[in-house]
Amino acid sequence: MIRFENVKKKFGDTVVLNNISFNIEPGEFIVLIGPSGCGKTTTLKSINRLITPEEGKIFVNGQDISKANPVKLRRKIGYVIQQIGLFPNMTIEQNIGLVPKRLKYSKSEIKKITKDLMEMVDMSYDEYAHKYPTELSGGQQQRIGVLRALAASPPIVLMDEPFGALDPMTRATLQEEIVRLQKKLKKTIVFVTHDMNEALDLADKIIFMEHGEIVQMATPDEMLANPANDLIRDFMRKSSATSDPSNLTAADFMRTNAISVYKKRSIRECTDLMARQHIDSLLIKNDDDTYVGIITIKDVRKHGKSSGSIGEIIPNENITSDAGENAKDAFDKLYNSGDNYVVVLNNDKTIAGIISKTSMATAMADTLWGDMQ
Amino acid sequence: MDFSLVFEHLYLVLMTVLFSVIVGLPLGVLAYITPSVRKIVLWAVEILQTIPALALLGLIIIALGPGKTTVIVGLVLYSLLPIVHNTYIGLESVDSGIKEAGKGMGLTQFDRLISVEIPLALPMIFTGIRIATVTTIGVAVFATSVGGGGLGAVIYKGIRTQNMELILFGTVALMIMAILFDVLMIWINNRLTKRTSN
Repeated sequence: MIRFENVKKKFGDTVVLNNISFNIEPGEFIVLIGPSGCGKTTTLKSINRLITPEEGKIFVNGQDISKANPVKLRRKIGYVIQQIGLFPNMTIEQNIGLVPKRLKYSKSEIKKITKDLMEMVDMSYDEYAHKYPTELSGGQQQRIGVLRALAASPPIVLMDEPFGALDPMTRATLQEEIVRLQKKLKKTIVFVTHDMNEALDLADKIIFMEHGEIVQMATPDEMLANPANDLIRDFMRKSSATSDPSNLTAADFMRTNAISVYKKRSIRECTDLMARQHIDSLLIKNDDDTYVGIITIKDVRKHGKSSGSIGEIIPNENITSDAGENAKDAFDKLYNSGDNYVVVLNNDKTIAGIISKTSMATAMADTLWGDMQ
Repeated sequence: MDFSLVFEHLYLVLMTVLFSVIVGLPLGVLAYITPSVRKIVLWAVEILQTIPALALLGLIIIALGPGKTTVIVGLVLYSLLPIVHNTYIGLESVDSGIKEAGKGMGLTQFDRLISVEIPLALPMIFTGIRIATVTTIGVAVFATSVGGGGLGAVIYKGIRTQNMELILFGTVALMIMAILFDVLMIWINNRLTKRTSN
């Protein structure tokens, strides 16, 4: 259905696609995934000629697309994007009927298509067809975005992070719907995402890309069982962690940039350090890097002398947690102790990081809404 | 008082706006779709605006002789700037997702312009036309100096004969005209904006 043969693309001096070759069978649900800048979106946009590669050939339905008329080609390939891109000056029905109208379908045909499609996603034709996109919620708008791509029954649909901007609940519903539509309509779908969960849920095959190359093309099961490299394993780990919050450990939530000093450092050095870093406490460690305790600026003041080493001051016994400890238990400690943070220790009692209320809130937001930049 | 001068003035303004739109809109679209001529087009209309209106009319009179045509040509050149600029900016600022969706679905560039981009840029374009109209009402006072007539004649006559009443009549008529057009066009613009804004 879609075949890439040694496709190369550069933007200026950066190689974005480096000799990509793969083959997609009719009816397959393919998910392109990888870190940002890996070339997944470029690959997708090469299929409908929004981007033209410098070298190599792309075949759609056996035809070399570099010889095809781009407008005709695109009308046979559905296209859904993250920004949705419904036309606000047209009603829902006009939006859905856009390509069919250009392909000279009759008015009654367009109405029937619109009605049928809207029924498939449980949206009432009478209620919504004559509304404007801005009158709909984000989730409803992207449903229409998907229907619009399907309207002229193209055999192929390209989707560029279509659910990336939706809230998790809506995203889950739309994911289910797209799987259902795909099964029913037997489309070949190429879907770009950076969310491994989404890839695992939707894909027949996942193409994992990095630096413009395909690292692995495999079914979700194969990829889970045998990830080709550490990056893929890392993507999988992140996704399995976010999929089940009860598996999260203190290590997933901690900040690793907490400042620690050795016992023998002088008090003056330590107060200077606090002033420079705008912090009011330091983690103290032994010469073998094991954790001793915390000293705050108040402790220093109480001590009264600025000579001598920091180790002479008796440190506070702040609560600690093991890196492998369940995240929820660590949070409970944090809340019940009244301390400002929990110190996370590795198995050998060295300092792994700290969990503060801020780092906890950020981490929870990450789990809920994906990577917070 | 001679109300025919008011109508003559209105005629000059409306003809000017009509031709400015006929020339300016395509120029704005051209600047939008062809980056290679964009700078030249935008510069050209900007430079036209820097020429004093009276001097511009004086230059055109050499080519076309005195009369209404000279006035209208001069005023058109003068009011291109807001129309060309606003057309270009209006089209440029249509949401990139909407543009990409249109392209990706297989609409031709012309189709995208007509069906989506111009309708969405319309409030912005219309604002340009409104600014051009209101400015033209004022600048058209110079028409009389090149034999174009209009309310300028009243004001000039008032200045020459030191007739305060005449000057006031001319000025107030111009102000009322400008305010009426402004209010009317803002109202139309609001109606245009209602549907397309998010």
